[in-house]
Amino acid sequence: MSWWRKSPDLTLLSALWLLLAIGIVLVLPQMLASWSITSILQFATLLSLVALGQSFVVMSGGGGIDLSVGGNVSLSAVMGMLALHQGINPLWLPLICLLTGTLAGAINGWLIARLRLWPLIVTLGSFYLFSGLALALTSGAAVAGVPAELTQWGRGTQFFVPLPFLTCVIPAFLIAWLILSKSAWGKWIYACGFNEHATRLVGIPVDRLRFLTYCLSGMLAGCAGFVSLSWLGSARPEIGVNLELESLTAALLGGIAIFGGRGSVIGVLAAALMLVTIKTCMLQLGLNSVWQLGVVGILLIIVLMAQRLFIYRR
Amino acid sequence: MHMTSREIALLAIALLAIAGFSWFSPWFATVDNLLTILRNSSELLLIALGMTLVIAMGGVDVSVGVVMGVAAWAVGQLLLVNSPWLAALAGPLLGLLLGLITALVVVMGRIPAIVGTLGLFGVWRTGLFALLGGQWLSGLPGSLTSGLMHPLLGLPVMAWIIVLVWACVWLVLRHTPYGLWLLAAGNSEEKARLAGIPVTQVRIATFMISGLLCGIAATCYIATYRNVEMTVGGSLALEAIAAVVLGGTRITGGACSLLGTLLGVLLLRILQNGLLLVGIPSLWQTVVTGAVLLVVLSSEAASGRVIAFRRTA
Repeated sequence: MSWWRKSPDLTLLSALWLLLAIGIVLVLPQMLASWSITSILQFATLLSLVALGQSFVVMSGGGGIDLSVGGNVSLSAVMGMLALHQGINPLWLPLICLLTGTLAGAINGWLIARLRLWPLIVTLGSFYLFSGLALALTSGAAVAGVPAELTQWGRGTQFFVPLPFLTCVIPAFLIAWLILSKSAWGKWIYACGFNEHATRLVGIPVDRLRFLTYCLSGMLAGCAGFVSLSWLGSARPEIGVNLELESLTAALLGGIAIFGGRGSVIGVLAAALMLVTIKTCMLQLGLNSVWQLGVVGILLIIVLMAQRLFIYRR
Repeated sequence: MHMTSREIALLAIALLAIAGFSWFSPWFATVDNLLTILRNSSELLLIALGMTLVIAMGGVDVSVGVVMGVAAWAVGQLLLVNSPWLAALAGPLLGLLLGLITALVVVMGRIPAIVGTLGLFGVWRTGLFALLGGQWLSGLPGSLTSGLMHPLLGLPVMAWIIVLVWACVWLVLRHTPYGLWLLAAGNSEEKARLAGIPVTQVRIATFMISGLLCGIAATCYIATYRNVEMTVGGSLALEAIAAVVLGGTRITGGACSLLGTLLGVLLLRILQNGLLLVGIPSLWQTVVTGAVLLVVLSSEAASGRVIAFRRTA
């Protein structure tokens, strides 16, 4: 019972996982096969990368939110492929995707941390800008022509685990965990989400920190864009649709407090995996993909109410 | 009438855009095209009006476009059983109800409006899909259209309804205690509570008014297009927020400008229409909307003269 009081959000997450696992065993035992686990991890790669960036942004407080992540994923993938068609060496592809994402994130961060504009409006505007650019630059069609070596990496597996998950998601979460729990930087992030005023008084560079979290969110979105094109074999301008809703839900379900200053990345990974598992189950049950949106929406509202009840109790 | 610097700037940008588009396209400055722009603005005019109130109160609602979609479904269904009056009323009523649900989730659940309404957006989107059964609702009878498009004093009835709604909201906002309470609650919830203002009721009422306006927009939508598709109203919420913020309403609440919202909506629609006529593919519209929003806000913040959009650190 004391465990419940200590981390109600993680308890809620475990309860949901338990419920989901029981449901799968009873109704959809075929989901336990190795191919389905591989496919879940494959789909989860994009979401967990983006959700990790979203978590950093929300955790650093100040009304932090990044609605532009989905547009950023699409834009990075498209820019990478357009550069490839200009005749650059495919080896530069990952760098271009990461760079596009980081730059896009830096625009957000600059407007928010330097000009002190409200994050909601800035990332709403840049969501328009990025997703619009991704669509306009490609006229809405997928850009094919990813080199075979890359799709080999993007679709390859090792012990049922997709290579992108092994080489991107696991290191990213490990590094994020190390940063948050072992470095001063991590303590600063918690601090400025927990009490911005006190953090400023202590002399911690709050604005620079927030600028960096938006850059980081952009970089992870760029990484997700790169993974998407090496997995699908083409850059799709609509690959990031609804990722802002899903990544926020994953972050909050994972225990990131909406007003910042609280949360762990392990929970975020578990939550992202759960969302994708639910999605896959619904596909297996023959439900249209629109239903996922409703389930994700309801989960988001439930977890927010739970946070209000158990964390921000007044 | 006294105009703020923001409203003058918006008017100047809009006039500049009109001049530029007329120069490059012979079709832009025709009466037909100007009427088209106004007709295309009708839903956004209503939804942005509700959004102005919601943002002035310190909230935001990203589910308005889909709320309009669900209400439009109800209007369409009732129109099929051939009762245009009932259908026309069903939109606003359902909008009011959905607004109440939004209010219950956000206000009574005490969760941040942006995240709460993002969740509701997902729920309504799925709900609309389930209601439509995966098909478009199309080929609706024209009884509602002929009623709302009937000319009255040179303008269609629908235009007069929109003017009337704007006048009502202006009256309520500027000449009733509710309007003052709303701005006070947006300015500082705590101070408003200490002053004895029924903040919770005011917030619930505001979300309901916004829902009601979405419902009226749904009736107008059906009268104009006579079909309901799955993705109806997809970008309306974002466009409404952009128009409201462009218009000078403070994003953290406490101050708003109805004239600014009007100019913001018209500017967005003029840009979208003009770019199309100049020969730029429609896919670029969202890029331009986003860029205009970011450029206007950041140039204002960078110039440092107006601090309305600055966060208080």
